[in-house]
Amino acid sequence: MSEITLRVTLNRVPMELRAEAGKSLLRILREDLGMTSVKEGCGQGDCGACVVVLDGEAVNSCLVLAAQADGGEITTLEGLALQGVLHPLQRAFSEMWAFQCGFCAPGMLMSAYALLLHTPSPTRDEIEEAIEGNLCRCTSYRAVIEAIDAAAGEQRRGGLAAGAPDA
Amino acid sequence: MPLLVSSGAGVSPPERPMPELEVVGHPAAAVRAHEIVTGRALYTRDLGIPGTLVGRLLYTPIPCGRIRRLDVRAARRLPGVTAILTAADVPGENSYLYSIPDQPLLAFDFVRFQGEALAAVAAENEEVAARALEAIEVELEPLPGVYDVLEAMRPGAMQVWPDRPNVHSRLVIERGQVDRGFARADVVIENQYLTPWVEHAFLETEAALAMLDNTGTVVVYSPGQSPHRDRRQIARALGLPEVRVRVITPAIGGAFGGKDEAHVQIHAALLAQATSRPVLIERSREESIRTHVKRHPVQVRYRTGALRDGRLTAIHVEAIGDTGPYLGAGAEIMACLAATVFGPYRVPAARIEACTVLTNNPVCGAMRGFGIPQGQFACELQMDDLARRLGIDPLEVRLRNGLETGDEIPTGVRMRQAGGMKGCLIEAARLAGWDRRREIERAPAPHLRRGWGMASILFTVGMGRNVPDFAGASLDMALDGTVSLRTGASDMGQGAHTALAQLAAEALGVPLESVRVVAPDTDQAPNAGPAAASRTTFVSGNAVLRAAEPIRHTLLQIASEKTGLPLNVLGLRGGRLIAEGETLSLNVAELAREAALQSRGLHADGFYAMEYPEPHPPDAYPYAYSVFTFATQVARVLVDVETGQIKVEEIVAVQDAGQVVNPAAALGQVEGGCAMGIGYALLEELIVHEGRTLNNSLEGYLVPTVRDVPPIRARLLEYPEPFAPYGAKGIGESSLTPTAPAIANAVADAIGVPIRRLPITPERVLDALERGEDGRVR
Repeated sequence: MSEITLRVTLNRVPMELRAEAGKSLLRILREDLGMTSVKEGCGQGDCGACVVVLDGEAVNSCLVLAAQADGGEITTLEGLALQGVLHPLQRAFSEMWAFQCGFCAPGMLMSAYALLLHTPSPTRDEIEEAIEGNLCRCTSYRAVIEAIDAAAGEQRRGGLAAGAPDA
Repeated sequence: MPLLVSSGAGVSPPERPMPELEVVGHPAAAVRAHEIVTGRALYTRDLGIPGTLVGRLLYTPIPCGRIRRLDVRAARRLPGVTAILTAADVPGENSYLYSIPDQPLLAFDFVRFQGEALAAVAAENEEVAARALEAIEVELEPLPGVYDVLEAMRPGAMQVWPDRPNVHSRLVIERGQVDRGFARADVVIENQYLTPWVEHAFLETEAALAMLDNTGTVVVYSPGQSPHRDRRQIARALGLPEVRVRVITPAIGGAFGGKDEAHVQIHAALLAQATSRPVLIERSREESIRTHVKRHPVQVRYRTGALRDGRLTAIHVEAIGDTGPYLGAGAEIMACLAATVFGPYRVPAARIEACTVLTNNPVCGAMRGFGIPQGQFACELQMDDLARRLGIDPLEVRLRNGLETGDEIPTGVRMRQAGGMKGCLIEAARLAGWDRRREIERAPAPHLRRGWGMASILFTVGMGRNVPDFAGASLDMALDGTVSLRTGASDMGQGAHTALAQLAAEALGVPLESVRVVAPDTDQAPNAGPAAASRTTFVSGNAVLRAAEPIRHTLLQIASEKTGLPLNVLGLRGGRLIAEGETLSLNVAELAREAALQSRGLHADGFYAMEYPEPHPPDAYPYAYSVFTFATQVARVLVDVETGQIKVEEIVAVQDAGQVVNPAAALGQVEGGCAMGIGYALLEELIVHEGRTLNNSLEGYLVPTVRDVPPIRARLLEYPEPFAPYGAKGIGESSLTPTAPAIANAVADAIGVPIRRLPITPERVLDALERGEDGRVR
């Protein structure tokens, strides 16, 4: 398999690395870049556990090849908190039990983050659409929807500045 | 009183004032919430150790056959292959599973199901491991397997094992005069029920990282529900004393019973022992579905006799469970089904038979509910059938038969606390507007039919009288008054660690933030038994309270000496000393420092074993349970009679929780149980053809997405359970159980025809509409 030089911006940091062109973005993030928040649940795009934000869109990183990510701007859950301040989504997920085992939470949070990038005031249907591809086997999704809704509200009110320190 | 208002959910104290609890009963975030929302929670495959080898297992290509040749010599010679193990290389016992460990770790003579492992490979990287699997030469002689459970039971059927009958066990409960009960019945109804194989579909597939430490001890990191039992099984296979094995449980990505059995821990440990290198085995989704135990498919024939007023006179139940070729917990699961299949009702006479049958289908074992959901599904459809036959409201027929505290059930046990039975029924009916349901339009469009259904269930807590049911826990207070809680009980998302931390904080009088739960580690924590059987809050919770007692006593003694106040007026609350409600200046940290100066330890272990103080009749069922929870759910559905599509419009879920420890977490358990129950009712079925599962992916095996789960109105009722910590008991499995029968009863109400087979797919709806109640094509 041919190796390529990959230039990406990962969590606001530009970087360059060598990778096999056909290696999945999921594996590059986990194995080469240490982003272990990115989870593998199925490896074929059915579960959403590996969702990251690539150029502003939520993608299943298991289905993205290295070559396709070249030049891209990637955000993983590791990059959501800014200077130690949790994102409103992270606070809402934590306070409202929007997860139980937590394995789906990184993908769920990144799908929600991509939604709020485009749609600061999502309807319930828009929230459901955004997380339709994210399976959670523990919750009923109710707490997830309410947490995303609460975070959207907080963000609209200038949330990030009001964030609690990342203790 | 804590009251959560979101989604109309809440907690009600039906019959007593709330005790003065500071931490227990109040919502709190999960103890690992911060690590989870920042992506720092470490699951097994996130633990990177330099030099880790890739472990893989070679699985059989056919479900049933004789191993003619298994040659690994060529594969062993491949560069980068570090070890290949077959059955001959297992130093200890080549078998596993709990209860009855009859599944080989690595098959040696026959393969008996599709998940059988033939060889274990350790290699430098994935590519080499894959090549090694291909280079192993396998010659299998296919044998005709037994794939139909009824066929397996016939005399002269092909045997799964040459030296064992296919019908492994036939458990019988006989109580009262059954024939007379049916003879005096005004109405007798009899039906057959079918439930499918169900897959846990935990988001994190199985994995294990094994290595040797500086003392030559085998250390295994793995998501498991029972670290101490896993340790025992690993030691047994490796031929080591148990203390030479250490099992550590990192974050667990869901389990639902499917990680109660050892999965790849033992294989990883064997490879680490053989190579002296760290080895990580991860199962792919396909391997996961193909190999681990499933929820039993069960056929139930249920006969119910009742008087004209709806009161039950007798039941006769025959249940047949297909357990696959290996027993493990299979017979125990069928025993649990038998011990509950009468439901939360007074049954004067019962004959219950539960057969555990061997086949070459997938191995079945624990899954959230442990046999109870299958039995309660049948029982609750019978109750609705009875109500229809007699023209009595389904709520009324349940209330007339409902168990009360002190009643004896067919296993010979007397109910310690049955307040939740009628309490849940009445509250669910009230919340759902059951009495006014006929005012809501039944056919909102020509092709749509609306229906309402309820189900009321009883569920066991603990492992029953026949099984040792104990737990230890350990507490250690540091000089600053903070506390380490060591438990062998796993938290796989159900919130056990948060609940145990709350119980410890309450008992010690310290803030919840002061308690840190140390992840289960068999080198550090006492054995807590499995995180299963809805037992952790009860059994481990009591162990925590017992560990807290001497620490609290020492702190208060020191406080008494320092203040001159008598011991019996002193207490601790929120980390501060109190006397008759007044907060004093001394705090827990100061008392802890004083304890150290006086060389008085603030460390204690607590142990608790399930108590059965009641007299136990000599003829009682050996697997009898003594602690129960109750739950009622009401479902409202809309059925499209042209397409067969079912839309669940709402579920009302009322759950008896004893004492709620954490309302937010408990409501999450109830709602999550409903979601899984919706999958069981409408979507989930592992398709098995001649021993092979055909839908080995999350694309083929459908679990509910956000679009499948309707609004759920959940409510918790508190009827304090005797002997339980602050009256609290487990609810995680109970909450799943009523959902499928409530939906099935709602569908029957909508279309006028009951469907007695899960899942209720559009095809089955259309088929039922065509055939009608009597099974004849209209």
